[in-house]
Amino acid sequence: MSYILGVSALYHDAAAALIHDGRIVAAASEERFSRIKHDASFPVLATRYCLQKAGIPVEAIDHVVYYEKPLRKFERILVSQVTHFPRTLQSFRRATFNWLTDKLWVRANLSAALGVRPETLLFCDHHLSHAASAFYCANTPNAAILTVDGVGEWATTSLYRGGPGGIELLSELQFPHSIGLVYSAFTAYLGFAVNDGEYKVMGMAPYGEPRFEDAVRKVLRLRDDGSVDVDLRYVSYHYSATDSFTGALEDLLGPARFPGSPFDPQSAEGRRFADIAASIQKVTEDALVGLAKALHRQVSTDTLCLAGGVALNSVANRHILQRGPFQRLFVQPAAGDAGGAIGAALWAHREVLGQPLPADVGLRPDLGAAYPDAAIGELLGDLKVRHEVLDEDQLVEHAATDIAAGRVIGWVQGGFEWGPRALGHRSILANPADPAMKERVNQRIKFRELFRPFAPRSPWRPPAPTSTCPPAASSPSTGC
Amino acid sequence: MSTALAAPSLSLRAISYIVWRLVPGRGPTKMAEFSHTEAGSGLDMLAAVEETPRRDLRRRYFQHALDELKHARMFREQAIALSQGRGRAAAVLDDAEYIGSHGIRGKESLFSSLSEVEFLAFVWVHEKRGAEQFQVYSDLMDDDPAVRAMFAEIARDERFHISYSAAELDRYRTAGEGAAVDRAVRSVWWRRYKQGWLRFSHDFGAMMAGLWLSLLWLVLIGPFSLIARLTEKSATGFIPAGPAQPAAARARELG
Repeated sequence: MSYILGVSALYHDAAAALIHDGRIVAAASEERFSRIKHDASFPVLATRYCLQKAGIPVEAIDHVVYYEKPLRKFERILVSQVTHFPRTLQSFRRATFNWLTDKLWVRANLSAALGVRPETLLFCDHHLSHAASAFYCANTPNAAILTVDGVGEWATTSLYRGGPGGIELLSELQFPHSIGLVYSAFTAYLGFAVNDGEYKVMGMAPYGEPRFEDAVRKVLRLRDDGSVDVDLRYVSYHYSATDSFTGALEDLLGPARFPGSPFDPQSAEGRRFADIAASIQKVTEDALVGLAKALHRQVSTDTLCLAGGVALNSVANRHILQRGPFQRLFVQPAAGDAGGAIGAALWAHREVLGQPLPADVGLRPDLGAAYPDAAIGELLGDLKVRHEVLDEDQLVEHAATDIAAGRVIGWVQGGFEWGPRALGHRSILANPADPAMKERVNQRIKFRELFRPFAPRSPWRPPAPTSTCPPAASSPSTGC
Repeated sequence: MSTALAAPSLSLRAISYIVWRLVPGRGPTKMAEFSHTEAGSGLDMLAAVEETPRRDLRRRYFQHALDELKHARMFREQAIALSQGRGRAAAVLDDAEYIGSHGIRGKESLFSSLSEVEFLAFVWVHEKRGAEQFQVYSDLMDDDPAVRAMFAEIARDERFHISYSAAELDRYRTAGEGAAVDRAVRSVWWRRYKQGWLRFSHDFGAMMAGLWLSLLWLVLIGPFSLIARLTEKSATGFIPAGPAQPAAARARELG
């Protein structure tokens, strides 16, 4: 009988996940409670929720596992400061101040914030947390595991073999050679916020053609063995605290897009930006397919487990399936840093404590908090919102009628989602047959760019034999 | 409680003039900061909706929250328009940690740290003060119709915030809790001064730390960089894993 709390925090997307005897009890991102997007602070509110769901006090937790190794990360930051002197003054001041006042004391700060004993704290490598979050949730005895993100301690991409004996690191790419950070640099170039707007680049890409592919390949160089390296003249993330690309990138591709400026794919400038988005998307897809092939050469299995922030690129994931050597693909739904919380906890249970995991660890899309109908009814009454209580049949009928009539529906059901995708638990539903609907929802309801896409929702049916998406790819992160 | 706005002080006008008119790029940056502040206020008001025992106030708090979140969006749009998405304003807008790092919303909500009457006093004092300040900024940006329209809409909303909080405080006063209302208002002012002092201390401390770290960077990082360059090895391509260590042994290590 052991309770293990996994924690990710301090960079972006803090989260907590509680497992009991290897089975997931609850998991939630801190932002869902604090309402601060990408909230990076210690997940106090998410931890409270996990404990409440399990019905245990904090003293009942046997181990708390932090999702990365803070000292190794600090080492990488210091080495970067030294290597790229004298361009590092600003980032040195900011990073060292942050580390000396906060991040370096993670053991003490974490135990104080969560109210846990310091001796219960364990630390897992960043990419290993990602790998465990994918492999141990995939309910498969053997798999190849690929983790790709911005950067963890040193690793930016890691190749693993997963089997009954645990997870074995095969090789890795190291900072500053990072697919995730280059994608983020292009995100900034295209006028979106780093660590937030990457999915907007993915959404902008279909409006363009990859006519800048050769130029982008000068920045992110793909090698024959599947590895990549970065021409550091075009990027500045390795020495700057505020910028991620240099003037050389603007010389290569033209002026960067002003954040917030209108995007019109019909204008010449709009087409250029869309083409650049399509180009970085294309090169990223090729890089990931190359990595999958390289991994398959070392691990002969038909199953690939994928995690890390880049694994949220659902379009690229589809390419890995269609063009890569694997037949089955599992993507951790919280593939970004939040997912590290689940991975760290499962890793500690399996590999540190040496305990077996159940065949199904209980990963579901609705691991977050649910709210009773009575509380919702009371709130709506107090806010004087007109409402009525319907049974399920009436509700479905009512919703379908409203959607068909062109109304937009807010749909809340059960616990909220684990991971960034809205999967029917906290979703906006609208009629896709109405050509004006996309603009209406984007502009008047979500207050976001007009080009941003929506996911189609249809009744589930087994895929046809000729389907390009096998059953194991039914994750929301495969773009199927 | 009074709902009339006080005439802005000369010092507020002078400082605002310097900040908004004389320092290039400072206006958009202030708007970017306001965007985060208003968003933080919106979160505080949403927490009040959830936590207040006075169910009759939930609707007012909710409307107030929606107003604050709308203001956050308006300030954000203006900051982008005025800065053309460049410079310090863009960096502030992109700073996802701003709300947390500026103490706007902690793990415990503002509402839970105050009584209902203290919370209403907080709303009344801060909204009045905010409205007075925004009036000054609006006057200074009078030559920009879009900014003027934005401040006019915000002023309308703030009149509602001031009037409902004042009316509620008057209700407490009528119910014989005048002393508690006075105490709450005094405590809010005291809290404002204390937080202002803490902000100044924090900023001053950060500036001094920045100076010392700059010195450290120069005398320590500089010489090491020369050595690093002589011995630099570029780690490109796949790096094979080293010998595996037992997980249990390395799990307690921070590095």
